[in-house]
Amino acid sequence: MAARKRFLSLALTGVLVLLAGLAQAEVPLGVTDTEIHIAQWGPQTGPAAPWGAVARGTGVFFEMINAEGGINGRKIVYHMFDDQYNPANTKAGVKELQEKEPGIFAWASGVGTSPGLAAKDYLMENGVPWVGPAAASLHWITPPQKYLFAVYPLYFDEAQVLVRYLVEKKGMKKLAVLYASDDYGKNGLEGVHKEMDRLKMKTIIEVPVGRADRDLKSHVMKLKESGAEAVLMWVNPTHAVIALKTAAAMKYAPQWVSSSTLSDAPLMMHISGGLWKNVIFTNFIELPESQSALMKKYKAAFDKYAQKGERFGVFFLAGFGFVEPMVEGLKRTPKDAFTRDNFVKAMESIKDFKGIMGKISFGPGKRQGQREVFVAQTDETGMKVKQLSEWMAPD
Amino acid sequence: MDSLLGLIQVFVGGFTVGSAYSLIALAMVIIYKTSEVLNFAQGDMAMAATFFAFSLLAVLGLPFYAALPAALLFAVLIGLAAEFLFLRRAKEPNLLGLIIITLGLEMIIFGLASWKWGADPKDLPFPVSPWDTIQIGGLIISYLELLTVATAAVVAAGLFLFFRYSKLGVAMKATQLNRNVARLMGIRTRRILLSAWGLSAGIGALAGLLIAPGGTVDPYMMWDPMMKGFASAVLGGMTSLPGAALGGCIMGVVENLFGFYVSTEFKSVVPFAIIVIVLCLKPSGLLARHYIRKV
Amino acid sequence: MDMKRSYFEDVRLFGSAAQVVWFLVLLAALFLFPFLAGPYYVYVVSYAAINVLVALGLNLLVGYTGQISLGHAGFFGIGAYATVLLMNKAALPLLLALLVASLIAAFFGFLLGLPALRLEGPYLAIATLGFGLTIEIIFEKWKFFGGSTGPPVPDFPIHFSSGLSMDQNIYFLVIPLTLAGTIAARNLVRSRVGRAFVAVRDSDIAASCMGVSLMYYKTLAFAVSAFFTGLAGGLFAFHLGQIDPTTFNLMLSIIFLAMVVVGGVASILGSVMGAVLLSVLNLKLKGLQLADFAAIPVIGQGVADFLGAFFMETGMANIRFIVYGLIMVLIMIVEPLGLYGFWIRTKIYWKTWPF
Repeated sequence: MAARKRFLSLALTGVLVLLAGLAQAEVPLGVTDTEIHIAQWGPQTGPAAPWGAVARGTGVFFEMINAEGGINGRKIVYHMFDDQYNPANTKAGVKELQEKEPGIFAWASGVGTSPGLAAKDYLMENGVPWVGPAAASLHWITPPQKYLFAVYPLYFDEAQVLVRYLVEKKGMKKLAVLYASDDYGKNGLEGVHKEMDRLKMKTIIEVPVGRADRDLKSHVMKLKESGAEAVLMWVNPTHAVIALKTAAAMKYAPQWVSSSTLSDAPLMMHISGGLWKNVIFTNFIELPESQSALMKKYKAAFDKYAQKGERFGVFFLAGFGFVEPMVEGLKRTPKDAFTRDNFVKAMESIKDFKGIMGKISFGPGKRQGQREVFVAQTDETGMKVKQLSEWMAPD
Repeated sequence: MDSLLGLIQVFVGGFTVGSAYSLIALAMVIIYKTSEVLNFAQGDMAMAATFFAFSLLAVLGLPFYAALPAALLFAVLIGLAAEFLFLRRAKEPNLLGLIIITLGLEMIIFGLASWKWGADPKDLPFPVSPWDTIQIGGLIISYLELLTVATAAVVAAGLFLFFRYSKLGVAMKATQLNRNVARLMGIRTRRILLSAWGLSAGIGALAGLLIAPGGTVDPYMMWDPMMKGFASAVLGGMTSLPGAALGGCIMGVVENLFGFYVSTEFKSVVPFAIIVIVLCLKPSGLLARHYIRKV
Repeated sequence: MDMKRSYFEDVRLFGSAAQVVWFLVLLAALFLFPFLAGPYYVYVVSYAAINVLVALGLNLLVGYTGQISLGHAGFFGIGAYATVLLMNKAALPLLLALLVASLIAAFFGFLLGLPALRLEGPYLAIATLGFGLTIEIIFEKWKFFGGSTGPPVPDFPIHFSSGLSMDQNIYFLVIPLTLAGTIAARNLVRSRVGRAFVAVRDSDIAASCMGVSLMYYKTLAFAVSAFFTGLAGGLFAFHLGQIDPTTFNLMLSIIFLAMVVVGGVASILGSVMGAVLLSVLNLKLKGLQLADFAAIPVIGQGVADFLGAFFMETGMANIRFIVYGLIMVLIMIVEPLGLYGFWIRTKIYWKTWPF
């Protein structure tokens, strides 16, 4: 009895050791003769849920492309999942979709720096392209990765453009910064510093905001006391609204300035109860009210395909804009040699591509597609936005 | 700005924010006084009621004098349902079990509210404007802040009188002291518990409605205030209503003083630091009698 | 379940030869699993195993010693950050870093246990809540910890065999550690220390009258619990490949507590079941769509229409919270002993079948 047990365990071990030498298969390609599989994660729920519109926007964009005939005869099959802005969920979801047949050819956009970082290593290791992360972080391009193409202009660059505009065009001297104490806010702050150093100026005061803070009285009091002419905001929409409301109650009315994160003017006007007037902000994408032919086409697609309750706002359009270069790259990939490496080569050939965002260019070793933004301002009613400057890049 | 005036302004600002925290603390203390449960669902019950008010006001366009009682009623119903459907049914009502139930409730309410109203932040139309102000000397106070302080004071005073002098209030105290003896004395403890939860939810909803106009209405709106209300209750004493009111005001003032004079970045650490200090020095809180356990 | 006739029978690991055989089968299945299943499933099982470790640790504290902790995400985070930082800055090898990180977490557990001696029930819950939140804030603010995107996690350095993928390598570290942890927990519970824990839970004053040192055993419970959780945290850092402070939040602490309670307090098997169930649910509920509801026979389309009309379609993923909350609440109402309670009831029912 004991001998038999011993024999069995030895046999088991032997078999297992043999099996240990099995090689690991590569991830599936995600392409068939008639389909290309593209996927995106997004915060459909959780604290960042307003940005969930990006992933849904990409879905409508792809439906529009498919209705026009797809990419050289192949239709795009789009997969979207909710990661709640939680990196653990992002990575799990990416793996699940990537490894289940038929796999995913490439990943589009995807909101969040932390979620993106969780997915980045996995995607890069497996040679899966990723275009247009919906987060302007230096992590995507330092160092540049073969398969990662960033589109969103860096907060760092944006800040420089904004400061330059305020000082040179508006003649402002006393600038204050209200920033979120996370990567987003700090990147913006660094950009402000760089430009201020170049102009040999200093900010009057810099006030950080904690992530969960709902009471900004002390913050606004500090700003008011500093006597700043303009307050540059690198915060999320809720904090901006609370800041403006608190400032209104304190009778403090500086020139409010914001990064592109708050460029959804109708939303901001709506949730601030009408306070979002005459606010200057940068945009990385054409205004939804623009009358360009491309915007009209996208509006028609929105009317046709978007879910009930969806809004034709900046985040939704970002789902189009971040993915436009990807579609261009897919179109340039040779139909009969549709591999990931060929897609990468096609992406690198994109120069001065213009969709509804700024000019986008890639190249060998060049992975930051867009660096230009333009400055705009809401008017007295807060409902209309007027463009104040042309597309500008920091250098 | 002259610095004495600045100090007073910060103080006043902290006091008004603290009044909102007091309301939440009062709501939590009511529940703790009657059922010895930490109600983690407090914040989200208030959030759901605020969203309900938003729907009535912004979507259906009802006037405020109709929407307010409706929202309060909604909150009371949620509180009653929570007690009747869930807490009462717990087979083993030990502390851990009850905490798990309130946490589970919190998740359910959060999920439902978030699903129904979506994640985009919204603005609550409120009859008292958050940015119309009166000026006293150099001090600027908004109407909303005044309303918040007034409401908190009225509610605190009302509750204090209620618990001390009214029949229902005394019955509630008796239920907490010893539930079985209270039943023997003829008090309908089940109804008492129901009323406590309903009352608490209603007060929480008031807090939500007062906090919302100064910010946005979104699913996470009450998480931060709830933590602070919670810390205020700990500070003032979980079994003491005046303690809760006082704790809220102290919390608001200390937090804002810290934020203005020391650092805004670490402002959120203040409530937890206060909790730690209180628990180390006087765990039962400022105004509550020391908890003595009978063997 | 079965009557124990001697001390030896009570404390021994395997109750009978049949149990040993099943255990070997389990070992074989666990070993073969990564070769037969796709990499995604390997990932899921590793994730569940890490949660099992946490649930074990937390159950030792909550179920067996009767304390309460709403701050275990803090220990999880300490384990993760300490492991990564030790490897980055002190160049420790992985296993040593895991060990040291777990000991660091245990030390913090001990520190948290000290006030626990004075605090009762709800106040202890509040104190642990404060602890968890403070740790999260420290991770975010203190530059040493890499700020809001966290420190870079080094590549997983152990390769068991050349043909294995990263997922499988991690799996082969996580699973043996989890198995060891489960066996250790089981042994601990049946030993003198475990009995002391239970005595503290049932009546601490009586226990101290009997000579059980409250100070020693309560702090020990916290420390051991933190050790398990810290170890799990260190493994998690490699499993996810990236750590940032927002992961170790209050919600995570709540989910850990839910795993323990849903699985069954004071039960090793319960911890395993609870952790596996909630981990899998977490990953499965992500991609739910209205179309999935419509697929339910008969009432499906009606349900889908109602949901579509009343709720915002874009917020569908919130169902995850609702399901979690419902499970937590229903378990407390229906079966306070959790999944383990269901398991026991099933066993009892079938024991006398078909009579």
